[in-house]
Amino acid sequence: MGFLVIDQLTMTYGQVTALDDVSLTVKEGEFITLLGPSGSGKTTLLMSIAGFNRPTAGEIVFDGRQITGLEPEDRDFGLVFQGYALFPHLSVADNVAFPLRVRKWDKARIRARVAEMLDLVGLAHLAGRKPRQLSGGQQQRVALARALAFGPRVLLLDEPLSALDRMLRETMQQELRRLHRETGVTFLYVTHDQQEALTLSDRIAVFNKGRIVECDTAQRLFRAPKTRFVAEFLGENNFVTGTRQGGRWTGLGTGFVLPPDRDLPEDRSAATLWLRPGDIALGPAGAGEIGFQAVVEDVIFAGTSSGLHLRLPTGEPLVASVAAEISAAEITGKTLAFHARPGAVGVIPEGA
Amino acid sequence: MSRRFRTRLLTALVWACLLFLVLPVLVVIPVSLTDKTYLSLPSDGLSLQHYRGLAAPETGWSAAMGKSLLLAVCAALISTALAASFAIGAWVRAGWWPSTIRVLMLAPMIVPPIIYAVGMVRVLSAMKLIDSFPGVLAVHVVLGLPMALLAVVASLSNFDNRVVMAARSLGAGPFTIFGKVILPNILPGLSAAAFLAFITSWDEITVTLFITARRFATLPRRIYTSIADSIDPALAAIATLLLLATTAVLAARLFLAGRPDDPAAR
Repeated sequence: MGFLVIDQLTMTYGQVTALDDVSLTVKEGEFITLLGPSGSGKTTLLMSIAGFNRPTAGEIVFDGRQITGLEPEDRDFGLVFQGYALFPHLSVADNVAFPLRVRKWDKARIRARVAEMLDLVGLAHLAGRKPRQLSGGQQQRVALARALAFGPRVLLLDEPLSALDRMLRETMQQELRRLHRETGVTFLYVTHDQQEALTLSDRIAVFNKGRIVECDTAQRLFRAPKTRFVAEFLGENNFVTGTRQGGRWTGLGTGFVLPPDRDLPEDRSAATLWLRPGDIALGPAGAGEIGFQAVVEDVIFAGTSSGLHLRLPTGEPLVASVAAEISAAEITGKTLAFHARPGAVGVIPEGA
Repeated sequence: MSRRFRTRLLTALVWACLLFLVLPVLVVIPVSLTDKTYLSLPSDGLSLQHYRGLAAPETGWSAAMGKSLLLAVCAALISTALAASFAIGAWVRAGWWPSTIRVLMLAPMIVPPIIYAVGMVRVLSAMKLIDSFPGVLAVHVVLGLPMALLAVVASLSNFDNRVVMAARSLGAGPFTIFGKVILPNILPGLSAAAFLAFITSWDEITVTLFITARRFATLPRRIYTSIADSIDPALAAIATLLLLATTAVLAARLFLAGRPDDPAAR
């Protein structure tokens, strides 16, 4: 039995299916990210867990207790919004004290807890300020302190960093990891930013069109995606069609062999092959490597690396990321030899 | 024409416009101090006799003022309470029906008062409430409702309803949310609503004229009657008092609640 179990949850609004038979088991203390493009159902699931959406079918079980029909105020889950949603008329300390006053804690205990929470997020010196006198990052820290103050066992976060600029977002990511580590609370985190998901999570559930496409650790989803959607959504990727005959593949190059753990099942012979831009190198193939020829159509400088836009003899486009020292004028329009390790190539069966 | 001359001309024009707005209002002050028994500027000396007349119970002015005050306060409270409960409910649960009902509630502002008055005469006489406090109160509540509603809706529209979701997720029930979260944030809107509803009732004359007679005469009604049968300088005295009261309220608001730019003041 899992800690938080989402069992075959379906949610329809009129004609629109926001969640389509979604099941997910969350372990206690886990940092799990719901990742997907906008409108893929990730926020709908989070709000169903928070209690603001009534699912059409399926159930949510928390710690062995059925909570599907429970009001949000009775669930005891922390919730953090993209727009912070602080109480504008209350000071920072009173915002954090709010859930404790609702629970009728005694005054001394509230004061101690508020001080402890503000210390945790490093805002003790701003306790008397009003929310609108704080920066975005500070407001989000207050929101975190408030949502964690009453000791929830689950913290739900709805794109909490997307209103912040990039530098601040990175600082806050570290802050979130630290809070997760120090409090031991289970984090359910919604984002559309794949980099954020890779950085933060123990596990990622990738959403598309109201379904969970795949759910696994960041490393496994990145290195061995089982579906084209995940291979495309997480990190940059190239796709070419490949066919297998007598154990040897034709597609990127010809006649290469893939490691058995990455290869297709015996009974299939066609698949989509993927290869990340960083795994393509310039120059002829060595022993056991995959070699192919491609025309360099464009070179795009991107700081530490350059993106080469290539075209294979089959007409398929490909992007390679190589060291930036390369001279664009010298290679643009030329046909060059490239190579890649067989271990870097992934296989996605037709239709997945 | 030199630039300086043009600026001066413009300044003079602006002052002339302002004086045109204010002077006719200010003229009631000398008139209220006249020593004659008809509306005129004081010629032989100043007198406070008309102010004394206002206070004298037999003239009925203070009674009318008291009735109007009570009526306006009650109407303002009821209108604001109704408008606030509707607006908050509609804000929490958006949908097609709140917008439909809102149009209905704004109707008293759109329907010409004279038409409404004719309708209310029939309704109130059927209910035997004509020329009575409850009857007039009901009408004034309805007339004040659109004003109050607009003020409350405006203050709610600036309030992020995710704040309410946050409060619920923190364990707050409906009553706590209303009292501790929504109310403190729309208080300025509520006081504006009550103020507008109060003013609406305080100087309502069109409908009041139809549904009152001698028993429940409000101040505007009493003024109207008094102008119709005599030209009593007591009118000027009343106008002066109202002017002073309004100026005092505005000044107080300017000094106490003012400085909206100062973040610490809010």
